[in-house]
Amino acid sequence: MRNDDDFKFVTIPPMINSLFDDIEHRILSPLSCLREFDNQWVLEFDLPLVNKKDIKVTFDEDTINVEAKLNEKYSEKQIGDVTKFEYFKKSLSLPEKIDNKKTTAQFQKGRLVIKIPKKVIGHQVKIT
Amino acid sequence: MKIAKYNTKENTLLVGFPSNGLVGTFSVSYLIHHLKMKQIGEIEMPDLPLTLFVEEGEILSPIRAYNKNNLFVIISDVPFDQYLAEKFALAINEFCKKNAIKKIVIVSGMETVNQKKGNPKIYGLVTHSTLDGLLYNNQISKFLNGSIFGTDAAIISVFRKTNIPALVLYAECHPFFPDPEASIIAIVTLAKILDVEIDTRDIENKIDKLRIQHRNLMKETIQTLQQQEKKTRTPQIYR
Repeated sequence: MRNDDDFKFVTIPPMINSLFDDIEHRILSPLSCLREFDNQWVLEFDLPLVNKKDIKVTFDEDTINVEAKLNEKYSEKQIGDVTKFEYFKKSLSLPEKIDNKKTTAQFQKGRLVIKIPKKVIGHQVKIT
Repeated sequence: MKIAKYNTKENTLLVGFPSNGLVGTFSVSYLIHHLKMKQIGEIEMPDLPLTLFVEEGEILSPIRAYNKNNLFVIISDVPFDQYLAEKFALAINEFCKKNAIKKIVIVSGMETVNQKKGNPKIYGLVTHSTLDGLLYNNQISKFLNGSIFGTDAAIISVFRKTNIPALVLYAECHPFFPDPEASIIAIVTLAKILDVEIDTRDIENKIDKLRIQHRNLMKETIQTLQQQEKKTRTPQIYR
């Protein structure tokens, strides 16, 4: 039987934490991506170590906020000290206003997928 | 945990670097660890920004070479822009000449926008038809259509002009997030190709933590890949 700690990746982490984790409040910044399709925006958050019931998604007209509690503390050595992170949190500005009645969210395999239909605003052009 | 003896006769080089899903990073690191390979050197590239890492008192270079029996490994912990990708490909070629390498295997990720349910698939692309049998014998689907850019393309471009055949393994993965799950498919396929036995339970147990641990490297890799993509792909307006 192997000890769980036996296996460790020897990879060099980037020198700068470009994701700006909040060490003081033990909050991790999750990876996210926004993809544009013809009729909708698809916004994804990578939320490993999280249960669906512990995710909170809120939004106003053009900003979305995602908060989630980890199902176990995640320890990481940053700036010499070990920090035990407990949460994910991120706010993102969206390229256009959200139609909150049509926005849907799914959580599978630690990935939160939010689908935001595009608002159709404008006038029809008559073709002669 | 069982590790069978490595019995492939030809010198083979395995190459891993950060790309889609960090598939190469995860799978090659895992093999180095599980085969208990020894570091035999570092690959120096003059234009690479000076970066060193200290791991429990040991100074590590970002591009390292490992060996065990007839298997050699080059692994990079830093993603490459287009210029450095070409330098890296040429450095691999030099390494192959010095170590009488007969074939190289590169592990990378293939972006899948609409991930279907079930296990991710793996595809193989070979530079020389002599490696077609390797695909067939290991039931690896041939990569038939698509575009390749970045470090994979740089290595393929160099090796298709040499007499050293290269096989690129592409595991379907999430394009923007670390994907250790896709790496497991790559590890299993590599184990068959290299004729070694690898237990994947260690990585399976650490999938979630690896995803958190490698967020910054993933972000850095995506930024580098997107710079390369802008330079090499047809502009959106022409699609």
